[in-house]
Amino acid sequence: MDKKSPQISAEDVLATCSAACPVHTDTREYVQRLSRGDYEGALDILLEVNPFPSVCGRICHHPCESECRRKAIDSAVSLRMLKRFLVENTKEYRIARRKKPAESRAGSVAVIGSGPGGLTAALDLALLGYRVTVYEKDSRLGGMLAHAIPRYRLPVEALAEDIEDILAAGVEVRTNCEVGRDISLDELQKENNAILIAIGLSESHSLPIPGVESQGVFLGTTFLWDIANGMNPELGDRTLVVGGGNVAIDIARAAKRLGPSKVYMACLEKREEMPAWEWEIDEAEQEGIEILNSWGPKSILEENGKVTGIEFKSCVSVFDDQRRFSPSYDESVTTSVEVDSVIIAIGQKADLGFLAKTPVVAERGRLICNRTSMTTSERGVFACGEVMTGPGSAIQAIATGHDAAKVISHFLETGETLELPQRAVTTIGELPAATAALAKRFERVEVSLTDPAERIKDFSPIEPGYSEAEALAESRRCLACATGAVLKSAAHCAGCLTCVRICPFGVARVEKTAVMPAQQCQTCGLCAAECPAAGIALSRFATNGMKDTLGAILSKSDASKIARPFVVSYCCLNETTSRKFLMEQTEEEIRQSGILRVMIPCVSRLSTLDLLSPFELGADKVCVIACSENGCFYPGAEELLAKRVNRARKFLDQIGVGQNNLQLFKTEGSAEEYWPRIWEEFRSASEKTVDRSELAQ
Amino acid sequence: MIIADPKPFGQVKGYVESFEKILIVGCGTCTTVCLAGGEAEAQILASGLRIAFGKDGGSKTILEDCVQRQCDEEFILPILSRVENEKIDAVVTLACGVGLNFLADRLGKVPIFPGLNTTFYGAAVGLGHWAEMCAGCGECITALTGGICPVARCSKHLLNGPCGGSEKGKCEVDPVNVDCVWQLIYDRLKKLGKLEDLQNLLPAKDWRTASDGGVRRTIREHIYSPK
Amino acid sequence: MMDESVMKSGSNLESVLRAGHFAVTCECGPPKGADMEHLQQKIELIKGCVDAANVTDNQTAVVRMSSIAASSILVKSGVEPVMQMVTRDRNRIAAQSDIFGAYALGIRNMLCLTGDHQTFGNHPMAKNVFDLDSIQLLDVVRTIRDEGKVNSGDPVEGGIRMFLGAAANPFADPFEFRVIRLGKKIRAGADFVQTQCIYDMDRFREFMKMACDMGLDKQCFILAGLTPLKSAGMAAYMNRNVSGITIPDTIIQRIRGVPKGNQSEEGIKLLLEQIQEVREIPGVAGVHIMAIEWEEKIREITERAGLLPRPQL
Repeated sequence: MDKKSPQISAEDVLATCSAACPVHTDTREYVQRLSRGDYEGALDILLEVNPFPSVCGRICHHPCESECRRKAIDSAVSLRMLKRFLVENTKEYRIARRKKPAESRAGSVAVIGSGPGGLTAALDLALLGYRVTVYEKDSRLGGMLAHAIPRYRLPVEALAEDIEDILAAGVEVRTNCEVGRDISLDELQKENNAILIAIGLSESHSLPIPGVESQGVFLGTTFLWDIANGMNPELGDRTLVVGGGNVAIDIARAAKRLGPSKVYMACLEKREEMPAWEWEIDEAEQEGIEILNSWGPKSILEENGKVTGIEFKSCVSVFDDQRRFSPSYDESVTTSVEVDSVIIAIGQKADLGFLAKTPVVAERGRLICNRTSMTTSERGVFACGEVMTGPGSAIQAIATGHDAAKVISHFLETGETLELPQRAVTTIGELPAATAALAKRFERVEVSLTDPAERIKDFSPIEPGYSEAEALAESRRCLACATGAVLKSAAHCAGCLTCVRICPFGVARVEKTAVMPAQQCQTCGLCAAECPAAGIALSRFATNGMKDTLGAILSKSDASKIARPFVVSYCCLNETTSRKFLMEQTEEEIRQSGILRVMIPCVSRLSTLDLLSPFELGADKVCVIACSENGCFYPGAEELLAKRVNRARKFLDQIGVGQNNLQLFKTEGSAEEYWPRIWEEFRSASEKTVDRSELAQ
Repeated sequence: MIIADPKPFGQVKGYVESFEKILIVGCGTCTTVCLAGGEAEAQILASGLRIAFGKDGGSKTILEDCVQRQCDEEFILPILSRVENEKIDAVVTLACGVGLNFLADRLGKVPIFPGLNTTFYGAAVGLGHWAEMCAGCGECITALTGGICPVARCSKHLLNGPCGGSEKGKCEVDPVNVDCVWQLIYDRLKKLGKLEDLQNLLPAKDWRTASDGGVRRTIREHIYSPK
Repeated sequence: MMDESVMKSGSNLESVLRAGHFAVTCECGPPKGADMEHLQQKIELIKGCVDAANVTDNQTAVVRMSSIAASSILVKSGVEPVMQMVTRDRNRIAAQSDIFGAYALGIRNMLCLTGDHQTFGNHPMAKNVFDLDSIQLLDVVRTIRDEGKVNSGDPVEGGIRMFLGAAANPFADPFEFRVIRLGKKIRAGADFVQTQCIYDMDRFREFMKMACDMGLDKQCFILAGLTPLKSAGMAAYMNRNVSGITIPDTIIQRIRGVPKGNQSEEGIKLLLEQIQEVREIPGVAGVHIMAIEWEEKIREITERAGLLPRPQL
């Protein structure tokens, strides 16, 4: 395990998913590993760049999916769910692979705040060997992850998994320790060589309107913080949340679970303009939350100091023509809603009080810092996360945490600050519509959320994870962009046009020599299988591994211990619904069973030579197990494969091996149940071709 | 494009049975394009021979190679070197007859065997489908027949066709697969508005420029220099 | 028409045609070996019934006694031959050589044909020649006859006088081109033409109309080819297997509609009707009866058709 991501060098052209990810997760690689059953290897890829895969598998807003090129064909691959599947199915491995730093270095760092940004920086620095202590004012670690995101979206255990991994690297933690109250910045500076301010935006903005001091008015972050700490606020029967962002949605949905029969959200924006994610809005509405668009709060109505309602004025527009936030109202149009509680969720700000009387400068509620060097006005004090960037997502904060670790370690080693180079990211671009039109559509594997009526009863998780079969199926929808066919050398190519003629997607072209543009290639492998010059290589698959294994087993001196007839079975990987046949066979297993399995993402990429080589190396029989009828991803591939197998069979007759020792099968039903029957029949059949009807018994 | 078909495996095996170290040489030009003798086919033939000889319990060495083409000296020199340096006993070539002969003339004491049957000059009329287009007769008369050659594409190479065996546009020799070329010429001249050309009597052909006249050669005066 | 100066060969067939009579020819196929007796028998069957008899040249590419030899035997036996020569098996050297030989042996009528492709015969592995096509062969013979030169231009030692014929197929494709091709053959040297056997009379009429419109009937004698059907089975077989011959359903049904024992008589009846029909088509100068392996019926047919006795010129 722990094989590094291929997509690491700065010169690379990234897949669009990786490019969209703030930490440039090698999405393609982990999905491909998952599809091969290598869940552990996939986890390695995730943890390479993201210490919060469990959290992200639940609540990341998945910019990768928004840029997934598969959406041009049918819909984006469900990447967040796949990530969640991986984390949920590799728990032991995750613990086993924990690394301690190789050597300790001189240098200690204090990280203020245990949100995703701060903890990421802490982990990176600890693994580099530095002494790191994280200071968290609350009793639990995680920042917004622990305190703002409701548990039905992010269960406590899911967050704990990521945090435990981080702590295992040797990061020290002081909870219930507020810098500025329990310990001063000055003390931290004395004890440490560098300080990282990662306090996020933990305070809610309030509304300067009449009635905001009434009983029944809550500030958003406090509201969520209290719920997280087990102190559910008293809400009454009718609640209204002011705000249109994701935090407002979280608050509204949390509020619904606390009892009110009616929960409203009111925001300045029109429906399409709301900053909250579309799917969040949908789920909220499913849960009965009513959204009132284009209203600005005017005053909170109270009686005897208790909230009775809230009055709004019509918001005509939110942004000016330069897209700046500049709401304009029509004061003459008003409305009011009868509620007994109001929660304000119009945005957050940093709690910078602790910087008073310190050399670290803040102005008008904002920390003064340089975003490329991540420095503040005070040498040795750095910032990362939302306190530096303004509101952002968890994964964005994680990205800044990595950057912070880089600049801080540079500082610790050299005493110099570091301007982080802006990496210009080149992507492979969109999937052309003409190519997408030719691809086969396969529906995204969706899970059903719990029924809304059930959901709102409590804070139980509402989204089931993928089953293994679902995850495997969904992972195979990944196009493996830009890992397709490549012409080995121009000298090989005779311009015969075979690749052009058989490409099901109209991708291959001949311009003097063949070219299969990475931007369009669907990695089916048909051109490579048919190229008469054996001139096309497939980045995603080669048979060398099989030849090596076969050679190793069959050429040893105790070849007599191998169960005969010895069968090499090429199997379509895409048909598997569990890891049963995806795990590598041991040599002992191969000898005893007399079957060597070679798992291939679509067996249509097998060339005629691939069908013959096993015989050359000593196999007695070869079977090719393709997908179920019409199950193939690639149009025309099944027919081409059948013709190639026929050719190889005729050739085997001429050679004297006999055509019945090579046979093509199609999977029927589950691979795990059907394939063993094929192997049994095929191994026992002597001269005749195995009949499908025999397998049905 | 020169078209060739793979010889029956048994025939090739028979050629090389009595040799120990055999080199299969593919050709990267015409026989690659017609999917008969490129590198992939060389690998397949080599694999087949290894399997077949392996079954017989022999210990032959079957090697493979492929060059850009076998009808030019520069491209085959590496093969000739290889044959000498590696003490190859026999060569099987997957080039067309041209490459075969060219190599044979240069292999001295080492035998060479054809892996293919060379057939015709043809064009790809469909995926995996080639049809004869030219007979190499050396005196092209197709200016009079709309560019369509009756010498190559008429079963009787009539110059004043069609004969009585043209039915529904097909040649009686193979009505399923072969068009009557005189029907094609007729249709073509009709499109070109030159049907009256068919009234002209095309005189008997002078076959001297064809292979009937003897083995042919050609020289480009502006560049030729005798070796 | 009976102008001696126009006479190309002085053969009986030519004389009959130039005198304006409705000519009758038939076929006489040589044996598949050297059996002269069988040939002699056939000759006796047709003697006196026809103006000339075609001697086929390795018909359908099956090896038979050469047409030049068989024609010579016919000459000796008193039946005038029309020697058929195909270009499939001989190049221009052999062709011209055989023509001189034929003339020396008394042969005066020749039919120039391309010949069936050798794949149809019993020697499909043979190399085909086709140095010339039928039109070029006509041109070569005409040049020898009228200009006294061989194909290379050298003068001949002793000229020939040959009545030249060609085959025409009004039923092959492209239909509209067939008459033009006939014109080409006439320009190349055809003095007379025998058509492929007719079953679709309407199509033949159309062909003849086009030919007459072009004046071809005045430039060349057109003989209508007919074949008597022995049975419904034969009709179906020919329809399926012999290229260039399509037998309309009505005819097959007509023969089939009659009990097996009477089918051959029905076939003869049909032939007699056909002879009558073609006599009435303008431009038709005679009839060529191809009674393959049924030569014994020639006498009966010509008798019942009122074509006997043949003119003695």
